[in-house]
Amino acid sequence: MAFLDVRDLHTFYRDTEALKGASLDVEEGEIVALLGSNGAGKTTTLRTISGLQRARSGAVIFDGSDLTRARPHEIVSAGLVHVPEGRRIFSGLTVDENLSLGAYLSRGDRKRMSEDRDAVYALFPRLVERRRQVAGTLSGGEQQMLAIGRALMSRPRLLALDEPSMGLAPAVVRAVGQVIQRIRAAGTTILMVEQNVRQALRLADRAFVLETGRVVLSGPAGELAADPRVQAAYLGGSASVDEPPDGTVP
Amino acid sequence: MSQFLQYLVNGLTIGAFLSLTALGYTMIYGIIRLINFAHGDIFMVGAFAGYTVLVAAAAAHVPVALIVMAALVAGMLFTGLLGVVVERVAYQPLLSAPRLAILISALGASLALEESARLIFGAGFSSYPHLLPTAGFGVAGVRLTYAQVGMFVMAVLLMVGLYLFVHRTMLGTAMRALAMDRDAARLMGINVERIILLTFFLGSVLAGAAGVMQGLYYTQINFIMGFLIGLRAFTAAVLGGIGNIPGAMVAGLLIGLLQSFAAAYVSARWTDALVFCVLILVLVVKPTGLFGERIVERV
Amino acid sequence: MPRVLGLVSERRAAAGWAVTLAVALAAPLVMGSYQLSIATSVLTFAMLGLGLNIVVGYAGLLDLGYAAFFAIGAYTSSLLSLEAGLGFWQTLPFAVVATAIGGCIIGYPTLRLRSDYLAIVTLGFGEIVRIIATNLTITGGPNGLYGIPAPGIAGVSITSIPGLYYLGLAFTVAALLLSWVLSRSWLGYAWRSLREDETAAEAVGVPTVRVKLLAYVMGAIVGGVAGPFFAARFGAVDPTSFTFLVSVQILLVVIVGGMGSLPGVLLGALVIIALPEALRAVADFRLLIFALALIALMVFRPQGLWPAPRPRGAPRGRPVPAAPLEAAAPATRGQPAAGEDLLTVAGVSRRFGGVRAVDDVSFTVRTGEIVSIIGPNGAGKTTLFNCITGVTKPDAGRVVLHGGRHGRRVLHRRAPHRVVAAGLARTFQGIRLFDGLSAADNVLVGRYCRRRRDGWRTSRGLTGGLVGVSGATHAEVRRWLGFVGLGDRGDSLARELSYGERRRLEIARALASEPFAVLLDEPAAGTNPTEKNELMGLIRQVRDSGVSVVLIEHDMDLVMSVSDRVIVMDQGQMIAEGTPEQVRGNQRVIDAYLGGEEETAAETVEEVLGWRS
Repeated sequence: MAFLDVRDLHTFYRDTEALKGASLDVEEGEIVALLGSNGAGKTTTLRTISGLQRARSGAVIFDGSDLTRARPHEIVSAGLVHVPEGRRIFSGLTVDENLSLGAYLSRGDRKRMSEDRDAVYALFPRLVERRRQVAGTLSGGEQQMLAIGRALMSRPRLLALDEPSMGLAPAVVRAVGQVIQRIRAAGTTILMVEQNVRQALRLADRAFVLETGRVVLSGPAGELAADPRVQAAYLGGSASVDEPPDGTVP
Repeated sequence: MSQFLQYLVNGLTIGAFLSLTALGYTMIYGIIRLINFAHGDIFMVGAFAGYTVLVAAAAAHVPVALIVMAALVAGMLFTGLLGVVVERVAYQPLLSAPRLAILISALGASLALEESARLIFGAGFSSYPHLLPTAGFGVAGVRLTYAQVGMFVMAVLLMVGLYLFVHRTMLGTAMRALAMDRDAARLMGINVERIILLTFFLGSVLAGAAGVMQGLYYTQINFIMGFLIGLRAFTAAVLGGIGNIPGAMVAGLLIGLLQSFAAAYVSARWTDALVFCVLILVLVVKPTGLFGERIVERV
Repeated sequence: MPRVLGLVSERRAAAGWAVTLAVALAAPLVMGSYQLSIATSVLTFAMLGLGLNIVVGYAGLLDLGYAAFFAIGAYTSSLLSLEAGLGFWQTLPFAVVATAIGGCIIGYPTLRLRSDYLAIVTLGFGEIVRIIATNLTITGGPNGLYGIPAPGIAGVSITSIPGLYYLGLAFTVAALLLSWVLSRSWLGYAWRSLREDETAAEAVGVPTVRVKLLAYVMGAIVGGVAGPFFAARFGAVDPTSFTFLVSVQILLVVIVGGMGSLPGVLLGALVIIALPEALRAVADFRLLIFALALIALMVFRPQGLWPAPRPRGAPRGRPVPAAPLEAAAPATRGQPAAGEDLLTVAGVSRRFGGVRAVDDVSFTVRTGEIVSIIGPNGAGKTTLFNCITGVTKPDAGRVVLHGGRHGRRVLHRRAPHRVVAAGLARTFQGIRLFDGLSAADNVLVGRYCRRRRDGWRTSRGLTGGLVGVSGATHAEVRRWLGFVGLGDRGDSLARELSYGERRRLEIARALASEPFAVLLDEPAAGTNPTEKNELMGLIRQVRDSGVSVVLIEHDMDLVMSVSDRVIVMDQGQMIAEGTPEQVRGNQRVIDAYLGGEEETAAETVEEVLGWRS
C-alpha cells in the first residue's frame, strides 16, 4: 500500500460536485505533482485530504491509517500537513508567532520548538531579520517561505503544497523549487499542486493530471512532459493534438 | 473642580466594569463573528451567583475579605461554565448555518437566561449585603473608598492577565490566529471548536467578575440589568475596534466616563441616547473603531 | 418539506389565500371578545412583520430596531389628532411620510456597514427613538399620550372589538398586497439579488445603495400604518410598547415564519403572539419555554416554519432555441465603428499592502475584437478587471469607454452599476450567480439597468402594469437564455445547473445589459473539453453579434484560437502584447508564464533565499 492512498474521492460544494472520483497515490520520499487547469479540482483534492472539506465518499489512507473522516487537527498530528493556496499566513501575527503556531501540537516541548525554529531560519535566512515583523508586511516570496516554514514546524512526514509558486517572480519560483528539493532530501514526502507545469514536472518524480474532478492522466514526470496532450494543453506547445473544431453551440 | 474629579472617578469605576464585559463581546465577535446577545445576561448571572454566595456566607462568621473573594471566584467559575454550555447548546450547531440563525439563537439564549433568573430570584431588585467597608481616603477633594480602589485594581489586573494570556501564550496566539483565518488555523493542528469554547469561557469569566463587582458596588441587582450593560459594553467593543483587546479596555473606560459626565452635566435620562449616538457616529465615520479592528474580513 | 410546498401551483395558493381570508372574515362570529382582541394583536404584528419582511426577508438587511418605525407612526398620528385635531385617516399620510423620513435617517448612514454593524446601529436607533419618546414633554414622557380618538368611517367611529378587528384585517390585507406587488416588481428582483450577493448585484447593474435605502423606506412605511392603527385601537400610546423586546418580537415573526415568505409571516405572527397566550396554563414559564423553543427552532429548522417557496422562472413563454442575434443591435446605440477604439485603459495601478497587484497597465480594446489577458495566477489579472469595472478603485490611471450617447465615459471613478449602464459588463472568476434565484431571474436582474428601455407594458395586466416587469423584458430574458443554450432551463435554480451551464448563465446575465463589451474572467475554468469547445463557439458568437470581448484565461488552446490579440501580465505588469503568434514566441512570456528554462533573472536562488548571506 502506498504511503498516501487517495481512492475515488467525491466531494461537493453545496450541490456542485467538485471531485468526481479522484484517485492518486504517493510513495514515501517522492515528489508528486498534481496538475490541471483552474477549476479542475486540484485545490479541492488537497482540501479533502487535509480534512477542510468533507468527502461524500471515497477514502484517504495515510501510512496505513484511514483519515477520511478525521478532523483537520488529527490529520496534522498524523503528520500530513497542507500549505494552502494563497499562503494564508496569519497576517496580523509576527513571523515568530506564525512559526510557533506551526508547532502548536507539540507546544509543551519548548526545546523542540526552538530547535525547529532554528532549522527553519537556517533554511530561510531571509526570515531571520524579519522575525519580529508582522507577517502581512512581508513580500510575496517571503510570505511563501513563511508558509512553508510554518508547516515544517510540525515535522510533517508528508507536505501538501498548493500552488507554492503562485504570483512569484521567476527567481523566487526557482528558489521555492530548490527549497522543495531540500525538504524532500531531508526525508519529507511532497505532494504539490502547481500551475507552473514546467517547474512542477522538473521537480516531480511522478504527476497526475486532473480534469473536471477526475484524474485523466498519470505517470512519471518525464513521460508526461513528453506527452503531446500535456504539451498542447499546459506547456504552450503547438496545438497539434485536439485541434479545436470551429465550435458553435449545438 | 473636585466635583469634576468625583465624576471622573465614578466614570472610571463604571467604565472598568464595562471594559471587562466588553472584552467578552470583542473576543467572541472576533472569533466567530457573532454579536453574543446573551453576554450581557452572563454578566447578570454573575451578579446573581455572587449574590447567592454572599447571602449564604453572610450568616457564617468568616472574614469579609474571604467572603468577597469566594463570591468573586464562584461568580467567575459559574459564568465561565455557563458560557461554555450556552456555546455548546445554542451556537456550536449553528457555526456554519446562515448568520441570522445564530443571531436569533443568541437572542433566544439571552431571553432564556433572563427568564431563568426571574423565575429563581423574582422580578424585583435583590440587594447585596452591605459588606464592603465604607472606609476610604480623600485626594484633592475626591472621596475614594478602599473597596472602590480595590475593585478598580482587580478589574485592571484581570484585563492585564487576559492581555498577557492572549498575547504571550500559545493558546492565546491560537485564538488570535483563529480570528484571522479559521481554515489556516485548522491546518496548524488547532482544534478550532475547543478554542472557541475557551474563548467563551474566558469572556464569560470576565463578565461574571464584572457582574459580581457591579453588585458589590451598587448593591442593587435584577434579572434585566444585563440588557443595558450589554448594550453599553458592546458599544465599547465596537468603539475600541472589534477584536482589539486593548481597544475594548480603553473604550469601556471612555463609555463609563461619558455615562458619568452625561448623567452629571446633561441628564441621566439622556445618557443612553448619547451612548448610542456616539456608537452610530463612530460606525458611520470610522467603522473600524477608534483603535482599529483586529479581524480580517475575507472577501 | 419546502420543496413540496414550493410546487403547490399558483391556483392552489390563490385558493389557500381565499380560504384564509374567509376564515379571518368569519372569525368574529365564533370568537369571544378576548380571543378577538388577541387576534387583533396578531394582525398588528402581522402588519409589522410584513413591513420588516421587506427589509429582512426581501433585501436581506438586518434590523433590530424596527419598533422605532412603529413608534414614529403611532406618535405622529396621535400627536396630530390630539394637537391639530386631525382625524385618523387624515393623520395617516403624515405618519407614512414621517416613518419614510425615519427610514432614510436610519438607512442612509448604515448603507455601507456590514450586516452585524447594521444590526447594532438599528438597535441603537430603536433605543434612541424610545428614549426620546420617554423624555420629551410633547410625547407625554413615560406616561405617553391618551385620549386618542378612534378611527371613523363615514362619520361612525369604530370602537367595537369586532370593528377594530376588521379594520386591522383590512390594513393587513393591504400590507400583504403591497408586499406581493413589491415582490414581483423590479425593486423586488433587485432586493433579492442584493440578498443573494451584494457585490455581484452591483456588478451586474443594480444600484445597490439606492435599492437598500428603498428597502428601509418601504419597510418603514408599513410600520407607519401599523403605528396609527395601534394608537387608535387603544386610544393611547406609551414608550413601553416600543422596547427592544418588541423589535425582537417583530423580527421573530419574520424569522420563525420564514424570511421572505408571506404565509410564513402570518404564521409567525400567530405563533409569536398567540402561542404565549395559549401557554398561559404554564403561566410563569411561558417566556422561558418560548426562548428555549426559539433556540431549538434555529438549531433544527433555521429556514423557519413556512419558508418562501422555491422561486420559479419569471418568463412563461416557450423556450427559445439557440440562435445568433441580429448583429446590428448594439451599434445602433452609438458604439464606435468596428476597428475603432472602444475601451482605453491608461496607467492603471493598484496596491494591496506591500504588493503591487496592478502596476501601470495600459491597453486599448477596439470594437469587434476578442482580446485575451493571460498570465500566471496572482499576476493581477482579476484585480485589473476589478479596477476597470469599478469593483476596486484604482490608485492611479484612467479607464475610458468610447461611444454611447455621451461620446465617451470616464469609468474609473464610477460605481460598478454605472459602469454596466455605460456599456461594460462582466463575469466573475469564481462564478457569482444569484444561487437562490432561477436562471431566468438571474438574467432578469442583469437587465435591470435597461428596464426603462423595455417599457412598462405587460402581458399580465394590472399588477404588472403598476410596478411589474414588462413583457418586453421577459422576451429579452428568453432571448438571452436561448442565446447561451439555456432556453429550456429558465425555471431551474442557478445552483442546480451544471458547471458549464452556470458559466453560460453568467455570460447571459452580463449580455442582458446589452453591453458594448463583456469582460469574461476565466470562463473555461473547470469545464471539460466538450464544454470548452461550446464556449469558444459562444465567445465568437458574442463577438459576431457586435459585442467586443475581453477575456482572462489560462487555457492556451482557447486563448490562441479565439483571440485577436493577447496581453500578458506578470506580477502586476504588462510584459507583452500582440497577436497569439507574437506572444507565443516572446521569450519573456515563456519565462514568466510557462516557467523559464534559462536563468534570465538577475537574482539567483541563493540571493532570494539568503543562503549566502
